[in-house]
Amino acid sequence: MSFPKELAGYLLEGNTAKAWKAIEQQKELSLLDTYHEIITPAMQHVGFLWENNEISVADEHLATVTCDFIISRLAHARLGKEKQHSRRAMFLCLEGEQHYIGLKMVNSLFKENGWETKYFGSDLPVEFVVKSAEAWNPEVIGLSVSIVYHLPKLNEYITELGKLPKPPVIIVGGRLSEHYDLRPYCSENTIILKDLIEMRDWLKNEQTTSKQDAAF
Amino acid sequence: MQHFNEPLPLPFLKLDKEGNIIYYSTLALEHFDLQEDNIKSIVDEESYEKLLKYSSDHQTRELQMELVFKSRKTPLALYEVHMVWDDDLYANMLLVPKDGSNQLLVEKMAALQQRLASTDFELYEQREELEQILTRLHELSGPFIPLTDKMSLIPLFGDITEKKIHIISQSCLQSVFSGEYEDILIDFTAVGEVEVKGMEKFVLLLKTLHLMTGKKIKIIGIKPNTAKVLNQFSLDGCMEFDHSLKQVLYRYFRKE
Repeated sequence: MSFPKELAGYLLEGNTAKAWKAIEQQKELSLLDTYHEIITPAMQHVGFLWENNEISVADEHLATVTCDFIISRLAHARLGKEKQHSRRAMFLCLEGEQHYIGLKMVNSLFKENGWETKYFGSDLPVEFVVKSAEAWNPEVIGLSVSIVYHLPKLNEYITELGKLPKPPVIIVGGRLSEHYDLRPYCSENTIILKDLIEMRDWLKNEQTTSKQDAAF
Repeated sequence: MQHFNEPLPLPFLKLDKEGNIIYYSTLALEHFDLQEDNIKSIVDEESYEKLLKYSSDHQTRELQMELVFKSRKTPLALYEVHMVWDDDLYANMLLVPKDGSNQLLVEKMAALQQRLASTDFELYEQREELEQILTRLHELSGPFIPLTDKMSLIPLFGDITEKKIHIISQSCLQSVFSGEYEDILIDFTAVGEVEVKGMEKFVLLLKTLHLMTGKKIKIIGIKPNTAKVLNQFSLDGCMEFDHSLKQVLYRYFRKE
């Protein structure tokens, strides 16, 4: 059995101890690789099992919560002491959206790269996002959407956030970005990232540009 | 498409092979907008693929699966679908709404999410470490010491608690089983406080040891507080008492 499938089994059992032990065995992997090569495929496998009529939505919920625990603990183990922050980013799922695991991983990756972040998790209404963004002034706002039916709302979020006095860079991610063209729901400047690898590349590029800017 | 006029307690649909709705019950009409008379129009896109995949095998007569429907209330409503193919290849479906039963789970999940956000993992890991140390400490509080081939001593240290006796029992029974011991001495001299639950577990251990060795277990160095607790249990003559280890050993070796 492949490693992600083994992990998926522990997540579905709700067995935090075994799941954590499995993750610990792969200590040599970077945080990104642990997310991209183990945790993401494990959760995708959970979804596949539902499509395959082997588990129920209730089982999926249990796997999600267990996975959340693993991600939280992993972040603590890997991120260590808070670094000096220079830039701010905020992360949230659209209203009604419950799939927050991917977003949580992205939040940790930003932290790892020295960003100060606010992570709001699932189901955040647009009024609240606008209010928080106004008060906190993040440079980047990451939105996650996983259900087609929620797509029309994406446009509303992007438009409202674009009206802010200092409009932040909007990044859109989530399962849908792999299979659908999200462009029609976004503005020109919106950045759509299909997976964590694209996310890393964007972050790298962003950091080099900002260093160059600082040098001039 | 015809109305199936029986007061069924769940939404019911009868479909042909192409997914066209032939009959619908009153509740089905209440739950779904049936203007387009095909199942495709009321099932979520991804669930539709699941339905196709699992219903195409007409040999499997009874099927059960979770599907997401577009109901009148919400575009994402979870139903448990029970389905049977009849001889004329019509699919008969009963739909059990599931969102209600999952609601509690979703709320619990949100609460856990909150809880995780505020969990101090440093404390969590320290606690885990502490638990391991405690288990180790329990293991060391009742070492199994072979004195001769036939005689062994288990001196107990510290307070008698349920958890401690549980941990000691495991290693102790294992050692007795793998050796051929007849006389087992348990020394209480270094014991402090005694919990009733701990003593209950201890008496159980004694009876097991008695069954395994066939001899009375010798208990040494009982203090008044321990005697009071021990007196609450029926001991069925599986043990005998002595003042000190010195006395027991003296008698044993003089006999030899």
